[in-house]
Amino acid sequence: MTIEKEGLSTAESLRKTRTHGKFRCHNPTCMERIQPEKGKKTAKCPTCGMEYRVHWVNPQLPRIRGPVWEVNRKLAETKLKEMGVK
Amino acid sequence: MPLDRKIAYIDLTTGDIQTKPIPLDVRKKFLGGRGLDAYLLYNHTEKGCDPLGPKNTLMVSGGILTATCASATARTHIMAKSPLTGLLGSANMGGFFAPEMAWAGFHHLVIKGKAKHPVYIYIHNGEVEIRDARDIWGKSVTDSQWAIREDLGDQEVKSLVCGPAGENLVRFANVMTGIKNSGGRSGMGCVLGSKNLKAVAVRGTMDIKIARPKEALEYNKRFIDQIVSAKVNQTQGALGTPFIWGATNSWGGVRCRNFQYNQCEYADDIEPERIDEICEETMGKYHMTGCFGCQVHCRAQYKIPSGPYAGTYDEGPEYTSQGAFGGETDTPRAITVLTGNHLVNKFGMDNLETGSLISWAMELYELGIITSKETDGIDLKFGNDDAVIEMIDRICFRKGWLGDTLADGGIAASEKIGKNSFNYLIQVKGMSNLHSDERATPALALNIATGSRGSDHLRSRPAIDLYHLPEEVLRKIYSNPVPYDGPLSSEHTEYIGKPWQVFWQENCYMGVDCLGICKYHTTFLGATLPNFEDWSKVLYYNTGLEMNPEEIWDVAVRCNMIERLFNLREGLAREDLKKGDMLNHRYFDEPCRRGAIDVVGRKIDKKKFIQMIDEFYEHKGLDNNGIPKPETLKKLGLKNEPSHLV
Repeated sequence: MTIEKEGLSTAESLRKTRTHGKFRCHNPTCMERIQPEKGKKTAKCPTCGMEYRVHWVNPQLPRIRGPVWEVNRKLAETKLKEMGVK
Repeated sequence: MPLDRKIAYIDLTTGDIQTKPIPLDVRKKFLGGRGLDAYLLYNHTEKGCDPLGPKNTLMVSGGILTATCASATARTHIMAKSPLTGLLGSANMGGFFAPEMAWAGFHHLVIKGKAKHPVYIYIHNGEVEIRDARDIWGKSVTDSQWAIREDLGDQEVKSLVCGPAGENLVRFANVMTGIKNSGGRSGMGCVLGSKNLKAVAVRGTMDIKIARPKEALEYNKRFIDQIVSAKVNQTQGALGTPFIWGATNSWGGVRCRNFQYNQCEYADDIEPERIDEICEETMGKYHMTGCFGCQVHCRAQYKIPSGPYAGTYDEGPEYTSQGAFGGETDTPRAITVLTGNHLVNKFGMDNLETGSLISWAMELYELGIITSKETDGIDLKFGNDDAVIEMIDRICFRKGWLGDTLADGGIAASEKIGKNSFNYLIQVKGMSNLHSDERATPALALNIATGSRGSDHLRSRPAIDLYHLPEEVLRKIYSNPVPYDGPLSSEHTEYIGKPWQVFWQENCYMGVDCLGICKYHTTFLGATLPNFEDWSKVLYYNTGLEMNPEEIWDVAVRCNMIERLFNLREGLAREDLKKGDMLNHRYFDEPCRRGAIDVVGRKIDKKKFIQMIDEFYEHKGLDNNGIPKPETLKKLGLKNEPSHLV
């Protein structure tokens, strides 16, 4: 009977794998961990070049607010051009 | 005991009311909530019945754990044949209604017939009565609830109601409770309206005996720790679901301009941080609130800061209102989102469907398929904030040709508009997609194509697929409680192993819907949240029902199958664009134009997509046409269903 099974459930044991103070690049095949400079309002992914606006929840906790729009559009249009998409 | 809560069978035509216990063998097969509702719907609704006719049966329920010592058991489920899709109608909402109904002695209501004039049902401590609602008919969602409290002289009464949209038979009208708790999608508020049923009101003070109270409380501490320590829930508690829209928009996973774009650029004014600022400015620092027994508190409170509704209080907005009245319509301005959100809450109308249909009409207007003649002179171009707000009102009150046409839902509207308007309608089974764009995420595309109530993120979405979790972590999650040794991929642009993930999530969400727990408390947005293993314990300590994780999984598979059986009976066919498990051609033909670099240019590979559906059917025990194999029905104990069609 499962009720008698003790110890951590699968979900509970996964909690140990977390990191704090970094965020992951939103580019899906990149997902690099980015650690922004403290207090800086933007951060660039060292791997794929995507650039993000940073929101600081508190001085230790950054979160991506969204992309830097101009950079984002330029990268997208370049990619579409390379792919021949009109 | 939770297991002694009853079912009330209510016939609005005759006034006949019967209350019955729920047999234990039925509990073990379907548990409660959505699962048991599906069983009741399949047995109590005739094939081909008119969704707006008296023969459509409306189910209202709480889960088997509702109002026990388990966390977040606030969910109320509503089910009937959908007037929007003609298939399964199902809605699920938070708030305080279901726990109050459990304290009043009931877990399930089965409502048939049509009242001669507007009525409401009042349930209190084991008693059920039908009361006159003629004075309440016509009132808004919140005014209706206040009027019922006034009528009963009890400020603690909780009600679920239909608003003006339900009364006007808008086919995507919601059932609502509180200010903004919405039983949305598939038009359950319209079914209430069709029955002249304004509301169901409940008040209860009957104890619920917990099977093992000490263990239940002890275990709940552990459960709560899992909930509150999850980063996703901490963020939800700070920003609510707008944070999901913000993050999704950031990488290019939202719908904009009716699927023309997958990102709403320069959306700073409706990003979660900005919405949060407005909430704080108008309601103070502590502006987040929650549902019954929940620690997440994902519901924001705000006042509209300016414009014609300045100073009006409301709650939200959720992801769906940001998408509906910001991204889709290309009006990324907070005032439009907050006002639109307020109006749909007041009217009791589905924000997602409303925004989707307005943006669809905007694209048709852009293409010249509809003109100012059909819009009564409204300049229905993308980015026109005033047009968005005006169209919400017109749809609710069926004003003008276009308002009336859109109020009947997308498929009916496309048939009326004609030309090639249907090609631009982003829907599955007649229900509009969430304001997300699944072209870069095959697993999510499969999820919306195969959802039992139509295009839906809350029926099988493997949202954690977006987190790039290592394969061993994915395997750990998706191999419990039943073993899975097939392929899995951490890459969410891939097709490998996704059918299993969607199948697993479908069962996870059915499980949580049977228990009556909120999806933010399970493996939906967070990989570390409770599921089958944890539920087995919670169920045992609270109800005394001994079911291991595998048995709960089996219940979920069974309940999903009975929903499938209902849909098949009502005409579901695999590749039918209006009633099947198929996506709009734009998913396969038009590439993403914005978003993160590796999202740009992506579209769904149709051949691989069809293979995914084949594989998904195999996991479910369906044949290639999506029909259950005889051995599947036998294994699930559904061979003789419907067993007592009434």
